[in-house]
Amino acid sequence: MGHRLFFASVFVGALLGTGQPTLAQTPPPDAAAAAAIAEIRQTIDTAWKEVQAYRTGGGKPGAADHPALKWHATLWTYREQHPGTAAAARATADAIRLLVRGEFWDEAHARIDTVGVDDPAWERLSAALYEEGSTRKDFAYTIATLSKVAATTTSPTNQAAVLLDIGRAQRRQGDVAAATKSFEAARSAAPGSVSSTEADGVLYEIAHLSLGLPAPTFSTKARNGKTVDLAALKGRAVVLVFWATT
Amino acid sequence: MQLNAKYGKDVAFVGISVDTNLDRLDKFVKEKAIPWAQLADGKAFDGPIPKLYRPNGTPTLFVLDRAGKIAAKLLSAEKIEETVQPLLSQP
Repeated sequence: MGHRLFFASVFVGALLGTGQPTLAQTPPPDAAAAAAIAEIRQTIDTAWKEVQAYRTGGGKPGAADHPALKWHATLWTYREQHPGTAAAARATADAIRLLVRGEFWDEAHARIDTVGVDDPAWERLSAALYEEGSTRKDFAYTIATLSKVAATTTSPTNQAAVLLDIGRAQRRQGDVAAATKSFEAARSAAPGSVSSTEADGVLYEIAHLSLGLPAPTFSTKARNGKTVDLAALKGRAVVLVFWATT
Repeated sequence: MQLNAKYGKDVAFVGISVDTNLDRLDKFVKEKAIPWAQLADGKAFDGPIPKLYRPNGTPTLFVLDRAGKIAAKLLSAEKIEETVQPLLSQP
């Protein structure tokens, strides 16, 4: 079949006088989706820059002139006009993240209630609920809402995302055992997804880099030719400085 | 660097550079006369030691007590002295 297709292309190319197979002129649908995402990302970038400038300028959260309100409306309109697209998922998540950053809790919750558990927006939206919990120093809403999504979604990536943020909330509350369980569930929910990979990283940190644990050892040659063996430095305090010249 | 001179043998500083340009690193270390050892393989965050300690960015400092246990993780050098000082009175 490959050969026939090849000869057909050459034949058509010869007819057109190019000698090259011709390509379709309309971009494939995934290219159109990528362009839509690039466009919405630009809008989202602008929104966050304005919110940042507003905060730097002394603007108060919850104020009527907070730019989060305006940008949230813009992004939500986009969601409604492009239902089911990847770009709309981003718009949805950031619309709500903006409300959270502006501390418009009721408005944010009202929007969250309308996002179905299988909506791909959850992959990015989940973190907004964690942010709300850390800002308010109360994770009750965060954990209850995310747990509902975790229990009912059929999307593995959504499940991984919400379990990751449930784990983060539990960890912040000091319940490392519960957090570890959530991170493990997040890791196995959608292997290879951003959230599962992140959960894997947090589990590594808890298991190997928690305060009070023996530091992972290494023995390696330094730039000056001498060997640095961490185990041999016992008896002295050690400061490991991860840095870069730039 | 001042800290290094102040604590001398009580505290070992080890630099782990995530630079990819090692010539540039060597030059910088020489110019600034940074006295402690530098570990670097040009693989940035994918090198074996960053993979062990998973820093999210630079600077990241891990402070270990005399027993080799992780006492603190800091994201700047600002609080290094008050973090290291109490460790020195431990056996």
